[in-house]
This record gives sequence, C-alpha cells and structure tokens, in this order.
Amino acid sequence: MGRYIIRRLLLLIPVLFFISVITFALAHAVPGGPFDREKPLPPEVIANLEKYYGLDQPVWKQYVDYVTDIAFRFDFGPSYRSRGRSVNDIFADHLPVSAQLGLAAIVIALVIGLPLGILSALKQNTLWDYLGMGLAIFGVSVPAIVLGPILILIFALALHWFPVAGWGTPAKMVMPAFALGLRESAIIARLTRASMLQVIREDYIRTARAKGLSERVVMVRHALKNAFIPVATILGPMFAALLTGTFIVEQIFAIPGMGKYFITSITNRDYPVVMGTILLYAVFLVLANLAVDLTYAFLDPRIRYT
Amino acid sequence: MSKRFTLVLVVLMVLAAVLSACKPAEKLVTTINLNFATEPPTMDPGLSTDTTSVDCVNMLFMGLSRLDIETVETKPYLATEWSVSADGLVWTFKMRKDVFWWRWDPATQKAEKKRPVVAGDIVYAVRRVANPETASDYAYVDYIIKGVQAVNTGESTDLESVGVRAVDDYTVEFTLTQPAGYFAAIAGMWTNNPVPREPIEQFGDKWTEPGNIWTCGPTYLDVWEHENKVVMKKNPNWFDAKNVFIETYNWAIVNDDATAMAMYENGELDVTPPPLSDMDRIKADPTLSKELYIGPGTCTYYYGFNTSKPPLDNVKVRQALSHGIDRQKLIDTVLKGGQKVATTFACPGVFGTPAEDPNWKGIEFDPAKGKALLAEAGYPDGKGLAEITLMFNTSAGHQRIAEFIQQSWKENLGLDIKLANQEWAVYLKTVNTDAPQIYRMGWCLDYPDENNWVLENFHTTKSLNNPKWSGANAVEFDRLTEEAALSNDPAKRKELYFKAEQLLTVTDAVIAPIYYYTSVVMTKPYVERTYSKAGHQEFWYWKVQAH
Repeated sequence: MGRYIIRRLLLLIPVLFFISVITFALAHAVPGGPFDREKPLPPEVIANLEKYYGLDQPVWKQYVDYVTDIAFRFDFGPSYRSRGRSVNDIFADHLPVSAQLGLAAIVIALVIGLPLGILSALKQNTLWDYLGMGLAIFGVSVPAIVLGPILILIFALALHWFPVAGWGTPAKMVMPAFALGLRESAIIARLTRASMLQVIREDYIRTARAKGLSERVVMVRHALKNAFIPVATILGPMFAALLTGTFIVEQIFAIPGMGKYFITSITNRDYPVVMGTILLYAVFLVLANLAVDLTYAFLDPRIRYT
Repeated sequence: MSKRFTLVLVVLMVLAAVLSACKPAEKLVTTINLNFATEPPTMDPGLSTDTTSVDCVNMLFMGLSRLDIETVETKPYLATEWSVSADGLVWTFKMRKDVFWWRWDPATQKAEKKRPVVAGDIVYAVRRVANPETASDYAYVDYIIKGVQAVNTGESTDLESVGVRAVDDYTVEFTLTQPAGYFAAIAGMWTNNPVPREPIEQFGDKWTEPGNIWTCGPTYLDVWEHENKVVMKKNPNWFDAKNVFIETYNWAIVNDDATAMAMYENGELDVTPPPLSDMDRIKADPTLSKELYIGPGTCTYYYGFNTSKPPLDNVKVRQALSHGIDRQKLIDTVLKGGQKVATTFACPGVFGTPAEDPNWKGIEFDPAKGKALLAEAGYPDGKGLAEITLMFNTSAGHQRIAEFIQQSWKENLGLDIKLANQEWAVYLKTVNTDAPQIYRMGWCLDYPDENNWVLENFHTTKSLNNPKWSGANAVEFDRLTEEAALSNDPAKRKELYFKAEQLLTVTDAVIAPIYYYTSVVMTKPYVERTYSKAGHQEFWYWKVQAH
C-alpha cells in the first residue's frame, strides 16, 4: 500500500509538468495581454510593466523561470492585477475560505444525500421513494445561480435568519454551504439509490439474510458498504471542485474564496494566477482521486494495492 | 415704564437668542457600511488606476489640489496656493504645514505620529512614478513634467533630472516641458500624492498593508482582508477632522450588484448602486424610489468608426449612422438610468467641453437627415452598401445596447448591420491594433480638462488613433488640440476645443457619442451625503443620523 501511494504521488510530477506546459502555452497563445486597458497605455509604459514582471524575456525562459521558482522556492509568482500580492498570498488568503465552505457543503451533501438515497432504495416505489427522488430531481435541476438568490430572499430578506452575504461568522456560511451542498446531495442521493437497488439484489445479500443476520447488519455492513463504491468515485472530483472554490456561489454570497480567481485571472490575462489556480486544482484532483482509490480497498475486500 | 420695557425686551431677546442656539444636538451614528464592488487592486497612489483604488487613496492620502465635487474646479488641498511663471513652465506650490504622516496600529488601535508631510515627499512620489522600475501605469500622465518621459522610457537614468524639486520643506516646484493650464489638476492627481519613503523602503510592495502603511489623509487603514472587507478609521488629527463625523468606515467587497442590493434592503449596506434589472421595481416602490439618486457622471459611451474601412471611409455614411441612433429611446427603454443624450465626446463638467454650450449643435437623432446623407453618399436606403460590422466586448449590457442600435439603424436608415463580440482582452487588442468598422468604447475623466479627452484619444500621433483618422480635418484637429494644450488663456482654449469637438463628432463624425453616464445610487435616508460631479466621492464629509 505504501509503495502504491508513493508511486501515485510520484506520478503527480509528470502530470503537473504536462498540465503546466499546456496551460502556459494556452495562456500565452490567447490574444490580448495583461496590460491591455480600455485606456490604452503608451508602449513605453507597457515595456516597463513587462520588464517588471519578466515578460520581456523569451517565452521559453519565462516558463523555465516559472517552474524553477515553484520547484526551488515554492513561489508561484506575482499577481499582475493586485500589485504587492503574490499567487502564494492568494492561496494563503483564499484557499482556506473555499476549503471551509467546500467541506461544509460536502458534509451537507453526504448528510442529506446518503440517507435520502438509502431510504428511496429501501422503500422503492413508495411515497418515500417518490418524495426522495422528487427532492433529488429538484436539487439537480435548480442550479446555484437560482438557488442562491432564492435562499437570500427567504432566509435573509423575509425571515432575517441569516445575513445576505459576506464571510467571517458561522451564520454567513450557512446559506452558501446549502446552495453548494444541496445540488451535490441530490447527485449523491440518486447515485446511492441506484447503487443500493443493484446491490440489494446481489447473491451475497441473499446469503447474508439466509445466514440469519439482522436486516440492519445486512444493510449497513454488506449492502451499504458496497453501494458506496460508485458514490466514493464521484466524491473525488466533487471534493476537488468544492474545496478549490466555486465561482457562482462565491459571487452570489460575496465569499472571499478561490473560485473567482479561476475566472477573473483568465479575463485579466493574469498568467501566474491562471497557472497557479489550474495547478492547484490538478493537485487537489489527483490527491482526491488517490484518496478515493484507497478507500476502495476498505470498501471492497477484493481490491488490493501493491 | 419705557426703561423697564426696554430691559424686559432685551432680556427676552437674549433669552431667545440663547434658546435658539441650544438646538437639540444632532444624534449621529459613527459607523457607515459601504461597498467596494471589487477588491482594490492597490492602495499605492503611484500605482492606482481604477476607481476603487483611487477611492482608497483619497481616504488615506492628500494631493496638492483636489477637484471640487460640485464645480469640478481645481481647488487647493495639501497646497494652500500655487503660482505659475510667466512662460507657464514653472509651477510653484506652497504646502500646508499641519499635515503629518501617521501609522495606525490595528493591534493596539492607536495611531503613531511619524513626521510632517513635506515637499520632499512629493518629490519622492513623482520620481518614484517616473522610475521605470516602479512600472507605474500612469507614469505617462507625468510626461508633461520635464525629464519624466526620458527617465520613464530609459533614455536617462538620472532621477535628479526630473523637473520637480523641494524649494524648502513646504514649497515644491515643478518644471514642465510645455505650458499646461490644467497642470494644477495633474499635480493633485492621486499619482502625484505624497508617499512616505520609509515604509516603502522597509516593506516594498507590502507597504500598503495595515500596520505598515503611513497615511496623511482623513482616515487610517485598519483592516484589509483581501476580497472580503476593508475598514478605515477616522484620523482625528487630520487638519479638517472637526468636519469628519464618521469614525468607522466598513467597506464590504461585493461584486454582484444584486447581492449588494439585497444587503442594502436588509440594512447591511447604507449605500449601493442598484442593479439595472431592479430599476423598474425601485422606481415603482414608494420607499426605494425616494432613496434613488440619479446624478451626472464623468464618462461618455460612444461608438467609434474606423475611417479607413469602407464604407466607413465615407464621412456621409458615418454622419448618417450617427443621425440614425435614437439615443433618448435607448436611454428610456434599455438603460433606464436617467443617462443624458451625448452630442460631444467630453461630458459636461469637463473644462472645454461644448456639451452645455448653447451655441453647440452636435449630431442629433434625425432619421430623415440620415437617409438623405446616405442617398448623397450613393447608397439610397442603404442599397449597395458594403457589409458593416458593429463590435463590442462581450457583456449583456453592451449586447442590449448594440441590439437596440442595430434595430434603430434598421428602422430609421434601412441598414442591416452585423453584430459581433469578443472577450474583453481580445477585444481591446482588436480595437487597439485594427479596429472593426464600428466599435464600442467609453472614456472617463482622469482630470477635468478636454486635453484628457480629445488629445489623448484621437490625436493622430499622440494617441493610438483607433479610428485611423487622417486627412485635412485630422491635421486641423491635431493643431487645435495641441494649441489648446499649450495655451494659458481659458477663453481661447474653450474656443479651440469647441472646434476640435466639432471636427471629431460632426464634420468628420469620427465617433458617434451615445450617452453621458449618470451616477445612479441608492442611499439610506439617514445618510447625509454629497453627490460628486468630479468622479470621486468625499465619503469623509458624510454624516449618518441615528436610525
């Protein structure tokens, strides 16, 4: 297992290298530069800015410098938009915010999604099933861009339970976490239901029942554990996406997270931030998938890593 | 009798005077909740370019002059007075002696007095902006100061050669490359605000973080949680602190205008610009409509014509297009923010603009005239006209405007215009290198003088000249704007700019001005505030009544 983890982590290096080359090339290939303004700057001023940020160097050298700075100094470079702030500062300030919100959303997604899926599977074709899946379809169909304002309208403007937006107190986290988590809970609920329905018809479940095990033990120890495998598979990318921030929810609830940097850095041609956010996402994705792969071994005894 | 009567009368009068002076004290709240719609990219005066950064700089620093928010005139601020040499090249500013640098410690909530703000701080600021290593966007604004351009472009490395010097601690002198009647405004621009050498050398780019920064303006910087909030505290030692009533300025950083509006309605913000989509609701609401203010802005929205691309190389076609835009209907049905129909490039309030001159007659909506011009150009009802593309940067707002104008040209001139859009950075590249036949653009004042508008945008060699304007009228336009820039005679300058605007918007119709922006804002009734015509607010003079 240890060797497997090390091997997977080492594989991260070529993956990140490949992603960095592609991203760097694409970012620089897109027309428009970081210093194009509505009030165009004189060429002399642009030349000063390019020199300041090292953009006067050949592109290959810019890439080599960039990678060297990351590898030896863990320095992801400056932000062209906010003078005095580096990409490292952006990670340090905003990643914890997105991660907290993402974790809260995942907890909500699991707490609502799993029981709903299990209940719907166990009470298939009953009112509970229809109700559960109705809720799930609502969750999948209503995007955060609609759900967010609805939550604000009801819980902030009408009931005054929570502040409209902002960050820094637990009350400010509730609505954005729900706006993020509800959709994911719907996905988990549907997947859990489908998976459970498949698993509870398997032979080994019949065998477990024939052995005289209680229904609770059959469901929790045998059925649910196996039914969780597909859910665990989607949890990997879900974790990576939620923990690195989501643009729309952060925008609606004025959350100082990472999400907006994925979008605004591209608009601003803020190359180091574009590179930084994409590499960050890649690292999270690879690590989350590794974690998922490792949980397979616990969920399914047939899976062994060497 | 008469003595006693007189005595009683006098006592009564004195009593009345005393009582009238004893009005119940105004009950004020010392906190205000405001919103920056975006994270300030910087709070460094020498690096600021956007309105949010400039708002921060104005709260924290002082310029030599300031623009009066009512009259948009240049008034003394850190300078008490200034004088100009006979040749118009040397400007001398006498500075206040009661302004100091303060370092606010957010941990102890105490301010530490550092030292007086002196002429050397201005000299340091101007040289720092000129220094190419600073890479200041707005360094070019100072190119009018002797030696700045040479230093900034690397021709010279001698910062001492920059035409600014401290005559004594409280007198600073600028030497210009050419006379410029508007220089007092340039000297007071945020770019040239005094900055303290000590924290800049100690902390580098991080000198503007709370705890590091030294400030000399109406407030201290207490908190700057990036992308989340900024808190500023009143500087009770500021020279005009007696007129500052708010102690704490809480700035949220909310990009989404619908969210900001919800926060306003929930009492979390005291002031916010309303979203366009809510304008009808706000105007119909008896409470919200009273809190809505629509006032003049400092920007112009326009369509530029690339005069080198057929059929826009024909002046009559350009004039016809300009006549074919129903600007008022656009404002009433699409924009709904009380914008004003634009007939000039520079908006009202800018020195030299003929926008409010009774003798000015720009191109107005006149479909019949537009059609006639098209026929004269050889395209009756648009027949035979080559395909025309109108391009704008991708945005729902610009799209709605473009679609309206497309329809306006269809109905009024019988023209079918193609629309195209590009992502912002790509669009800027396109417009600045090879502008489309018709392109959308806007301009906001940096300083309230026509020089900042006509010369900096359309001079055929001193600007990018995106419309690729050429010919005799373009040469004449260059001459007029250059002469106006050099002149110290306000009346003559006005006359020259009148003619320049005439050539730009009417005679050659190089652009079609569409509307002057307005400042649209919601303010809670308990906030006593001013509304600025100068493009920046003086938040520190606002009051918040108990509510």
